Amino acid sequence: MARLIRTEKEVEGRFEEVWIVVEEDPLEQWPEGPREVVGKPATRKSGPERVRGEARYTTDIRLAGMLQAAILRSPYAHARVKSIDLAPALALPGVRAAIGPGEAHGLSDEIGYSGAAVAAVAADTFRQAQAAIDAIAIEWEELEVVLDPDEAVRREQFTADPRRYERGDVEKALAQADVVVEATFRTQSVLHNSMETHQAICEWVGDTLNVYISTQFIWGVRDAVAETLEMPADKVRVVCEFMGGGFGSKNGPDEYTFVAAELAKRTGRPVRAALTRREESTAAGNRNATIQRLRAAARSDGTIVAFDGEFTNAVGWTGWNASTEGPMKMLYDCENVRTVTYGAKINTPPMKAFRAPGFVEGTFGLECLVDALAAKLDMDPLELRRRNYAATNEGTPISSKELEECYRRAEPHWERRHEVHSRSDAVWKRGVGMASQIWYGGGGPPSYAWVRIGSDGRATVITAMQDIGTGTRTAMAQIAAEELRLPLDRVDVVLGDSARGPYASISAGSSTVPSMGPAVRAAAADAREQIEDIAEQRGLPRDAPVHEVVDLLEDAQILGKGARGPNPTGMSVLTFGVHVVEVAVDVETGEVVVERVAAIHDVGRIINPLGASSQVEGGIIQGIGHTLSEDRLLDPETGRVLTSTLDSYRMPTIADVPEIVCEFVDKPDTHLTNLGAKGLGEPPIVPISAAIANAIRDATGAEIHELPISREEMLRALEAAKRKEKRGAPAAV
Amino acid sequence: MELRRPSDLAELDGGVFVHGGTEVVPLLNDGLLSAETLVDVRGVVPRGVHDGVIGAGTTLGELEVEPGIPDALREACRLAASPQLRNMGSLGGNLLQATRCWYWRLGYNCRLHGGDRCHAREGEHREHAIFANDFCASAHPSDVAAALIALGARLRTNRRELAVEELYRLPDEADRRTTTLENGELILEVELREVEASAYLKSMDRKAWSFPQVGVAVAKVGGETRIALAGVAPIPWRIDGIEALDAATPLPRTEWKLPVARAFVRRALAQLG
Repeated sequence: MARLIRTEKEVEGRFEEVWIVVEEDPLEQWPEGPREVVGKPATRKSGPERVRGEARYTTDIRLAGMLQAAILRSPYAHARVKSIDLAPALALPGVRAAIGPGEAHGLSDEIGYSGAAVAAVAADTFRQAQAAIDAIAIEWEELEVVLDPDEAVRREQFTADPRRYERGDVEKALAQADVVVEATFRTQSVLHNSMETHQAICEWVGDTLNVYISTQFIWGVRDAVAETLEMPADKVRVVCEFMGGGFGSKNGPDEYTFVAAELAKRTGRPVRAALTRREESTAAGNRNATIQRLRAAARSDGTIVAFDGEFTNAVGWTGWNASTEGPMKMLYDCENVRTVTYGAKINTPPMKAFRAPGFVEGTFGLECLVDALAAKLDMDPLELRRRNYAATNEGTPISSKELEECYRRAEPHWERRHEVHSRSDAVWKRGVGMASQIWYGGGGPPSYAWVRIGSDGRATVITAMQDIGTGTRTAMAQIAAEELRLPLDRVDVVLGDSARGPYASISAGSSTVPSMGPAVRAAAADAREQIEDIAEQRGLPRDAPVHEVVDLLEDAQILGKGARGPNPTGMSVLTFGVHVVEVAVDVETGEVVVERVAAIHDVGRIINPLGASSQVEGGIIQGIGHTLSEDRLLDPETGRVLTSTLDSYRMPTIADVPEIVCEFVDKPDTHLTNLGAKGLGEPPIVPISAAIANAIRDATGAEIHELPISREEMLRALEAAKRKEKRGAPAAV
Repeated sequence: MELRRPSDLAELDGGVFVHGGTEVVPLLNDGLLSAETLVDVRGVVPRGVHDGVIGAGTTLGELEVEPGIPDALREACRLAASPQLRNMGSLGGNLLQATRCWYWRLGYNCRLHGGDRCHAREGEHREHAIFANDFCASAHPSDVAAALIALGARLRTNRRELAVEELYRLPDEADRRTTTLENGELILEVELREVEASAYLKSMDRKAWSFPQVGVAVAKVGGETRIALAGVAPIPWRIDGIEALDAATPLPRTEWKLPVARAFVRRALAQLG
């Protein structure tokens, strides 16, 4: 029965109260462990299509008569358009339409960062559109630019009110503690750099707007476009069959979609608006830089008694104040915690969610601080973490937590450190470090799926969700196959089109499997029950193979439908893990090489172990980039992005990938849905940078304070460690 | 735009030369180079290695597996760019690539572009020069150039012969160019000397597709030890010995390059034996 409930919905660590209709979910979870299909490794359903180049991404779509758009972007970080003349652009060959500030959502005459959109042109070719953009006559009034986040905080220039939190009495605990450590950590701004840049093609068919878009949220785009253009939601059709990476940056429409829609309306032709790589590096979002001023205090027995943190998120001109303080509040059982989080509004490009926003940065600071505490206490870092294990989430029960089991499985990897140390020499110092992971990943309702079974005994799962490249098609097919007792190759998945299937959740916040999987299983169970009834009527056993039951149906079909049930009330749904990293550091040149990563994660039931290990490997590789080489640099004078190409913005290459060992606890969360499965998209990127920095400390004694750990930062830290050692050493007689 | 494909040197008549296109095409796309005529020189530039002479059209990908060339050159090729770029990029083209200075690449009106200031000096310059950086702080990106200079190699163009070192000049107020190549001049061959031993070491911020933070080429040639560095000055930079690094003039955010350079020069010399 449908039930109306008020519930707290979490995406990317942000909570909101929403009314939703949920359907009760009477299915029992499957027993723990691998099943016939679920829990066994499966190769990608869409693998052959992808490698043959048949998979149709947004960037591949060419509609008849399609025009190309180019966008005029501000060269100034903070400025006002005094006057703009589009006429010279319109006079150029091939140009079909031009629009200026206010004529499409996202085109503005008051801009707050270098690269903000001002005007746009549609032309027969992209070159013509670019030439027309250059011809637009524009007069600017430059305004004062603030790029320094600390300066913005001093001026109380915020994107949102500062967020303050305190439990217990931090001042008292600090005063009474045996040991206090203190450090300032800085993390840099990094770019998502999706292989497929942000883009949309808009096409008007009658009063319906078709939007082909590279997105993580088909229904979110539908709703946002309909609301902005004041259209009925179902008059906007959104299509995304294959997607070339998003990492949190493609959760909504953005200016290019509205530019394409408006130019399509004016020209009566489909219009494609696709960002170039340089635009992608500027206007498509980023992980914001942070400054974290942290303190931790403990008793000499290793009981952590206080955490104190001041966090500044260098948000940019737009974006939100991510929960950088989250790990400090949630990861350990600590009575006294005080945090304040500032969202600095500065004249830099917009922050957008990037794979565990806030927690990646906050875990770096916190877990480095905990190792500093362990060093000062002269205690084993793993032991210190165990001693301060949190059984609840700030008093709220946790639906399932297997972090202790992760620690137990980390032991053999942690024990390798003696052997790793022994491989050090005069130049290359080797060490081992660890860090823990906490993050959300429980997903939530609403989400729906349909299952259709024909007389050929094949099943098709239909739902208007998106596969953002994470292997969603395969996982959903596995769940349906398991429930229907069908082999995996007899199940297809149709997704990627809001006109072809019911509402489906966002693919962000590690929520696709936990949100969609239970709906798919429920739909498959609905179909299975119908098949069992037919079997009974045919005098077959209820569990007879599907094709034997349905073979006389001819054109009749079995139609099943399913919905995502509610999350457990009064419980926190969280994911956990631990990384143990081995590094080598060249102490003369500051080169850091990550040699081995052991990643142990608890995300409830694992649907596809092969897909899961791919997620972990991808998260670790992306995290190694964040830790060692990626850095979105701005010109300090103009605020312009300097690293706007893939040779200047340095993501890891395959040669930089270390040995990666993945383990999963694979224990269903018995409180969570009919699957007990949580999300895994984000967890693997959360602990990696702290684990690397802690391994560097183990190898060299150097304390890392900044990401990325460039040669410059590594040499600084080595030099500081040398000075500290000299000071600490007994004076020479 | 017109594309010409001459098959004889005599047919050369103006235009922008292009070989593998790995540098010229991005520069054209970014509007940093304009051309009405592109001249595909693959039909006129020699390719391959014969008796110590390397055709300038030989790709870096071919040279990185070529046993008949000195270690420093082979390593410089192997550590350059990415496999895809090395398969296209030619030896001659590599010597002529422009700086990776982001200000120059983004078209800031800097001194190299004829303007009156170096934006990197006051701006973001952590990858920039530690020598000869007063007028322009750009860093020269060619691994191969440093290797060839250490090896004492010479070039033959369609007009003259010169030492590889003589290909480069520091930009100054009067002339912003970083090479001495004249209009219409085309590098045809690289002539190697007899080398006793050589090495190339390179500091990179990832293991492939990284321009040299610091590249160090050393060679023993005719009893002389020659050292040349990449990524430390607006042109490939020769030094006499490790103590010459004391004369560096790093900018605030390029000081880190000095200990890296010291370590690599020491290690490279040790490799020479």
